[in-house]
Amino acid sequence: MPDSPRPHSPKPGAPEPALAAIREALATFPPPLLQEFDEACTQLQERLDADALLAWADEGLAVARHSLRAWEAASVYCRVSAAVLDQLPLSHFQAWAGSGRDLAADSPALAAAYFRASPTALPHLAPAQAPDWAEQGRLLYRGTWKSGSLAAQYFDVSPAILSQLPLGQTRLLVELIDALAGHSYELASACLGMSAAVLGELDRADRAPVLEFGSIVANTAWADARNYFERSPGAIKRVDPQQRARFLALSGRVALMVGRQGHPYFLDAAAALAEADDAVHGRVIALAEQLLPHSGLAAMEFIKSSPAVLARVSHDDLARWHAQGLAILQKSAAGGEAFFRLESAKGEEVIQGLSSRVELENVAELIRLYCRALTGADVAVLPLDALAERGVGWVSQSSPTTEGTAIYLPAVVEEHNDKALNFSIYKVFATHQAGRLEFDSFHFRFARPATLFDDRRLTRAPARDGEPALTDMERFFDLFDDRRLIADLFTIVEDTRIDTILRREYPGVRTAFERLQRAAVVRRRALETMPVREAAVENLVRLSLDAGDTIQWPPEIAALIKTPLRILARIRDGDASVEDSAEAALRLYEWIASIPNVQLDESQWLPADPPEEEVTEEQDVPQGDESLSAPAATTASLSGRSPQAYQSPEPVDFRGDFKPELVQMLLQMRGEGMDEGEPVPITPEQLKELIEKSAEIEFTEDDDGDLDGAVSTMLDNLMEEMAGTRVPSDTPGQQLQGDYASSHDPGDASLPDDPQSFFYDEWDFRANDYKPRWCRLQQRTLPGGEVDFYNHTLSENAALVQETRKQFELLRPELFRKIKHLPDGEEFDLDAVVEWIVQRAAGAPTDSNLFYRRNKIERDVTVGFLLDMSASTDEEIHRRKRFGADDAAFDDDPRKYFTWWAQKRAREAGQPSKRIIDLEKDAIVLLTEALESIGDMYGIYGFSGYGRDNVEFYVIKDIEEPFSDGIKKRIDKITPVRSTRMGPAIRHAIVKLKEARSKVRILVVISDGRPQDHGYGRDRTEKEYAIHDTKMALTEARREGVTPFCLTVDRQGHDYLQEMCQDMGYEVVSDIASLPRHLPALYRRLTR
Amino acid sequence: MTSQTEAPITEYRSWAVEEFRFQEEPYYVPVGDEVELFRAAWNSKIPVLLKGPTGCGKTRFVEYMAFHLNRPVVVSRDGRKEIMQESSLPLVTVACHEDLTASDLVGRYLLEGQETVWIDGPLTRAVKAGAICYLDEVVEARKDTTVLIHPLTDHRRILPVEKKSQLLQARDGFLLVISFNPGYQSALKDLKQSTRQRFVAIEFDYPPREIEAEIVQHESGLDAETALRLAKMAEKVRHLREHGLSEGASTRLLIYAGSLIRQGIAPRRACQIAIVWSLTDDAEIQRSVEEVIASIFE
Repeated sequence: MPDSPRPHSPKPGAPEPALAAIREALATFPPPLLQEFDEACTQLQERLDADALLAWADEGLAVARHSLRAWEAASVYCRVSAAVLDQLPLSHFQAWAGSGRDLAADSPALAAAYFRASPTALPHLAPAQAPDWAEQGRLLYRGTWKSGSLAAQYFDVSPAILSQLPLGQTRLLVELIDALAGHSYELASACLGMSAAVLGELDRADRAPVLEFGSIVANTAWADARNYFERSPGAIKRVDPQQRARFLALSGRVALMVGRQGHPYFLDAAAALAEADDAVHGRVIALAEQLLPHSGLAAMEFIKSSPAVLARVSHDDLARWHAQGLAILQKSAAGGEAFFRLESAKGEEVIQGLSSRVELENVAELIRLYCRALTGADVAVLPLDALAERGVGWVSQSSPTTEGTAIYLPAVVEEHNDKALNFSIYKVFATHQAGRLEFDSFHFRFARPATLFDDRRLTRAPARDGEPALTDMERFFDLFDDRRLIADLFTIVEDTRIDTILRREYPGVRTAFERLQRAAVVRRRALETMPVREAAVENLVRLSLDAGDTIQWPPEIAALIKTPLRILARIRDGDASVEDSAEAALRLYEWIASIPNVQLDESQWLPADPPEEEVTEEQDVPQGDESLSAPAATTASLSGRSPQAYQSPEPVDFRGDFKPELVQMLLQMRGEGMDEGEPVPITPEQLKELIEKSAEIEFTEDDDGDLDGAVSTMLDNLMEEMAGTRVPSDTPGQQLQGDYASSHDPGDASLPDDPQSFFYDEWDFRANDYKPRWCRLQQRTLPGGEVDFYNHTLSENAALVQETRKQFELLRPELFRKIKHLPDGEEFDLDAVVEWIVQRAAGAPTDSNLFYRRNKIERDVTVGFLLDMSASTDEEIHRRKRFGADDAAFDDDPRKYFTWWAQKRAREAGQPSKRIIDLEKDAIVLLTEALESIGDMYGIYGFSGYGRDNVEFYVIKDIEEPFSDGIKKRIDKITPVRSTRMGPAIRHAIVKLKEARSKVRILVVISDGRPQDHGYGRDRTEKEYAIHDTKMALTEARREGVTPFCLTVDRQGHDYLQEMCQDMGYEVVSDIASLPRHLPALYRRLTR
Repeated sequence: MTSQTEAPITEYRSWAVEEFRFQEEPYYVPVGDEVELFRAAWNSKIPVLLKGPTGCGKTRFVEYMAFHLNRPVVVSRDGRKEIMQESSLPLVTVACHEDLTASDLVGRYLLEGQETVWIDGPLTRAVKAGAICYLDEVVEARKDTTVLIHPLTDHRRILPVEKKSQLLQARDGFLLVISFNPGYQSALKDLKQSTRQRFVAIEFDYPPREIEAEIVQHESGLDAETALRLAKMAEKVRHLREHGLSEGASTRLLIYAGSLIRQGIAPRRACQIAIVWSLTDDAEIQRSVEEVIASIFE
């Protein structure tokens, strides 16, 4: 080794010969070592006695001597020793140094990293722990270069990690990293690099559990580890702090059971818990733990579903739901998992049963029929957002309302813990809205006389000039300056009138009604805080709610409220019409508009008498007299204070929104609700004026800033509805209930391009339950092709057509069949009578059954043919020899080749080389021809599709559709499309056949192979699932009184058809080419 | 339904088909001018077609008319012939079914001892007795019955008795009345135009609320208020016709419900068994109707 170029003079106080010897030895290493040694010596001399210093130096030399590169470690050792000594007592210092020496034996780089990290890491450790720490790093070292670098990295990051994690727990991290290192050092290193930051994000208590679960992830799904490191802090933070460790332990156990899926499930479950209230986390996790012994998946699925379930059932009921699922889980793991995944009909049913909330979706049809019964009109029942979306003046999502043709109700009612009570709320809502329709709230006629009051509106002068009013309601409101006040008053009076009638006409809803009324009264705002005019209106609302005892009013102006209350009471007692409501509102307006809207001191409010007894006397008083305007003397006492802007009273929930002006206009636009029945054309200008002046129209908040914009948006919406492009009485979603609505037009001139959607359940044989609304089936009418195909097929098979037709004609029943030997009948059976006489004459016992009668026999058959239009039907039947003798006809000339190819295609198209689908088509043509001669009802459908949300169902001929050229054209268009999801297609065909009233209903499914589709089974190769679902669909057919029959041209058909059809009819057509001949023969056999 | 005041029937009574006539006035409340129309048609010997939903009172109306129509009869008393007014017309009612043939109406030979004996069918008897012959739900019968109906319904008023090679001229008073419910029969079972156009048609529907309440009150002995509620309920339920229900609740069902209520059955329950469950098997519609009932009856 060359000498250092710089001179190094030994320190004066270090003449120890032993030390000098060490120094000498060190000098053989590269010079930086000696330099570090000398510097360290200087620092340490003062702190260590001679022996200790010698031991220290000895240690350094030992390190340096380990291997070629160990001098680097030794130099680090020298460099940090002083700093380490600051932290460790001498005894521990030596142990620390010893650990370093041991590491150096394995890898100098490792030792170097250890020494380098020590000054910053040691403060986080107890003095005795240094060797343990070193040991952890060593654990990662496996003798390879990569492992060494990983272990070194560990020491590098240790200071940061140890500041977060006690040494005992870092072991967890080391194990985790070690496990990862077994798969990928890059990954392990990346995770190690992240770990300090990750741990920093976690709460102290969560760190160890996170690492424990991390180890499991590393072992079961190492590839997810980085993802886990990145996402776990965020995921776990959303779980209740008390429950995090438990949740992680649970996730760990699940991961051990389910392997790779464990980690995604953990993330999903954590996200699900985040949606639920923190307080329930413990409960949910405890319940999940109970599921763990049976199925890890079920436990996680349970957690995932719990927020959705908790939104619908109470906490106690969650346990009940869980118990039901557990029972299923014990019988079948797949069944239980589907249950908790909310993918089984049973699971949904249990929730429905437990949930006390009532969803409009489930009761809409019931309420619709109910409202129809009450009103006698075709009212749709729709969720409120459907109305808000229309943007024609309603915005509320919670107040029930009606716009004249439909009743809009909130999507969910969950006021009570009792389903029946919640339903009764719906019922009151619906009854009140239906009451408005039934008792003519929207049929106010300006000129029609009132029954209880004088018609003062006729003589009142309009408050404003302008366009003549569009509607009678508008004309009435035009009489008043304060449109909001009159609208409020009219609403109160009219709602009072409706409630009064409803309680008289439908005493059965009275109880529920009063319950809501009481609840509404409790929620009213305190009167004392209101200005006087608002308080007067509020008192009217209270009286209308039967809460006369809560009316309060300053006694010194008692006279001001007396008459208004009396007027309202009159509506409550009498048999009032909507015109009476208007007259009452007019009188109330005159009184209340004269009360200034000023604030009074609270002390002045006292309960006022509800107008109980005086009413009867009042009725004798000539009408009109009571509504002289308020005494000037009393109002004088209120003057002098500054009036406030008038605010409408709070709405009464169960009465909902009432917008008579708007509804009348909408009705008029549609030409409904008019006496003349003629829709009156409305100009945009008129509409605009109405929208601007009406007090009823609300706009959504985002329109707030821009009133003109909102008006014009609404105007657009209204004009659009007027143009009839949007028919509001349409009931979207109703068809989606899975019930069938026939809407084809036989003329088929314009084909509905927009397919109709239907939803069907699917049978999951593993869960032994249906998956609710699993498949979406789209029904389309097949577009028409050429009629030639049909005629061509007929002429091509002329002989066969003749034959089948003849055979079918034989099927035609004799109109009457004679039944003989009856005791009673139309006529004597002459043969029997002759015999009877002979026997009598011979003294033999006689038979008295001497009559015959003719029984009429009607053939009453409806059949549906379901054609497989999957891609596999594209297959040719006789695979031709591709290169035959005429190969030589073209020699490498592409043009010749294409000519040849085109000719070949043309030949093939016209020649017997047919695809399966062609034979299916031929068979259908022959059958159609035969069926037309026999007069059976029949429908022809095709199906295909891809995936559960896109099952395509093609109508070629609907059952009621008469046979026509259009249908011939559609047959031409039968082409192979995609996959074969048979279940939903069969279910849809059943619905169609059910509509037919025939005694005999048959469904013939013609396919070319087993059912299969994307997601129709656990994976691509699984066949069981599809077969079971199809089998269940066929069983359903039978349950519905439809006889199913399966026909396949797949030679391998026997094995699965046997399973699919079991006791049902099926047939495998071995010679595919015979299908056209076979199908009519089969049909004959089926229906004979 | 019989009036509650009637004496208990402890023994059966029997009549020959053509001799049956009502001793007491059947209860019927005219809704419109149907009584005058029917009387005028009978006077002019024009056959009558009664259209209307089931249980709205068609049969009762015929009974009522049979009781109120009368014709001169010759009565021999002490050797002198006197012309008197009969108190009522006999009424022959035939409920038609799908196996009802012409010979079921006209008559047939039966074996008796060594010979065959001709037995008149109900239509033949009505023709001979000059009774009102009421063929209920006539579309149900076999088509060969129209062969009989046609000559009886025009000016000839004859009944061909093919097997006996006879023609019977109807006696005065004879009137063919058929009923027909256009609602529930399928398109196949419509009356042929050639048959329809031999009749004047009187359309029936359920009576208005007040009259129906009166009928229910009378027939079931119920109090006026409950009867009115039943009628109101029926009116509501009938709104569901063609919306799930093929027929509305008939007056007959209301009377059943009324009778049950009068026996002490709770109204909601009585309506459930007499109306909801007889009307439909569809659970959703059942529930809707029950909600209507629950709204009207406490």
